[in-house]
Amino acid sequence: MKTWFLHHRQAVTATLRQMFSTPLASLFTLFAIGITLSLPTSMMVILNNATEIAATLPNPNEISVYMDEHSNGEKLKHQLSTLPNVASTQFIPKQMALAKIGQQLNLGQLINDLPKNPLPDAWIITPVSNDSVSIKRLVTQLQKLPDVDLVQADHVWSQRLDALLKLGRDMLLLLAGILAIALIAITSNTIRLQISTRHAEIEVSQLIGATDRYIRRPFLYFGVMQGLLGGIIAWLIVFTCIQLLMPQFLALGKLYDTNLSIHTLTLTDSLLLLTLSAAMGWIGAYFAVSRSLANIKKFA
Amino acid sequence: MIGFDRVSKRYPGGYDALKDVTLEIEAGEMVFLTGHSGAGKSTLIKLIASIERPTSGTIYVNNHNVTKIRRAAIPYLRRNMGLIFQDHKLLFDRNVIQNVLLPLEIAGFSRHDAHARARAALDKVGLLQREKANPIALSGGEQQRVCIARAVVSRPTLLLADEPTGNLDSAYAAEIMQMFKAFHQAGTTIIISTHDQSAISAGRVIHLEHGKVTS
Repeated sequence: MKTWFLHHRQAVTATLRQMFSTPLASLFTLFAIGITLSLPTSMMVILNNATEIAATLPNPNEISVYMDEHSNGEKLKHQLSTLPNVASTQFIPKQMALAKIGQQLNLGQLINDLPKNPLPDAWIITPVSNDSVSIKRLVTQLQKLPDVDLVQADHVWSQRLDALLKLGRDMLLLLAGILAIALIAITSNTIRLQISTRHAEIEVSQLIGATDRYIRRPFLYFGVMQGLLGGIIAWLIVFTCIQLLMPQFLALGKLYDTNLSIHTLTLTDSLLLLTLSAAMGWIGAYFAVSRSLANIKKFA
Repeated sequence: MIGFDRVSKRYPGGYDALKDVTLEIEAGEMVFLTGHSGAGKSTLIKLIASIERPTSGTIYVNNHNVTKIRRAAIPYLRRNMGLIFQDHKLLFDRNVIQNVLLPLEIAGFSRHDAHARARAALDKVGLLQREKANPIALSGGEQQRVCIARAVVSRPTLLLADEPTGNLDSAYAAEIMQMFKAFHQAGTTIIISTHDQSAISAGRVIHLEHGKVTS
């Protein structure tokens, strides 16, 4: 246990010494890793925010049925309940709708000053099944009911939004996968360079009883450390970008009369980023060292 | 301690370095391997240290059959032996004492113990006052002495030296041989390959010719 601890301390010291011995080269490598990682990370932030905004939108599968201005919408209650594929119905009388709008848009007294309520009575219908065919059928049935002026189903655009978000997520995964390979390649390459400069040391160590594990250890530490620091740089890049764009975004939201709240990287996201970047560094280092260990001739 | 039973070694390309060698070396012996270059001296030493594997035959080291030793077990085998090379194989990116410390670091000695041992080993080869020097600043004889200090620092029971005096003039060579004698008297088994007959003083001589033991 003591030996194990000692070996690890030696490896960490060796790693830091190695990094500081070529500060500029190390820095460039770290930035390459950081920028590579910042791409999928910022994409993830955008997607997370988009998903969140989408979730605050009204239930997309609800169907709104607007009545003729002069009819009494409540008469429809019985007929609605006989339709198939209706899970629940909610009646919104025109007075209530007006009050709600006044509240939402902050119109205050203006509402009361209207000479007459411009809004019709409305029903909000939640269908049982959400597939587009049965919704379409329900919409046609609703349109045939007496005194119905307009039937509005939001499912089409909601499906489009869902598909768009799903596409975004798939693209994110794909991009992350490609960049993970890039990261492994970058690490692998820097480690290979290091191994070539420390060839003599590895050879001598092997001859005086160093295990493969002992020889591998400092390089693995280097890979992990490099990945981790690259991950931190990526985090800082994304964080800075969000901070820079936040005011403009909020201003844009104001123009649409909404109070958008932008989420930066959550703790889970940040930990995930750092863990993955460290893991990629480890894998890259492991590849490079294992290949070299197999190749190194053991004696001159 | 070491046994060779009908051992042959053929290198890729068909060169036979050792042919049907059978020999026995007891613990505490001091053995000189002699013969022309190419006679198989280095190969024999490499086979004992599992740096090479035999083509046929069986090799025992410390009563273990090392003929088909697993790669992962080799480091632990080597920790029981000190290896001394003609070209020293010192690391020039660190000073003398750090070179000597390397086997102890690998074996996991604490910093304090390791330093004490390394300084004791350097004292034995008479280089304690040069511990902070870079090996590149040392003479050939001194470099060889650092290599010996590194080989004995973990107090192995077996010392293997491949042409340790090959690059040295006779005064230095005699000095080095004197050191080996001292280790031998302390109970260490020592195997030294040399083409220099004059270096041989006491001890058993195994003469190799074209890969065969002739005496």
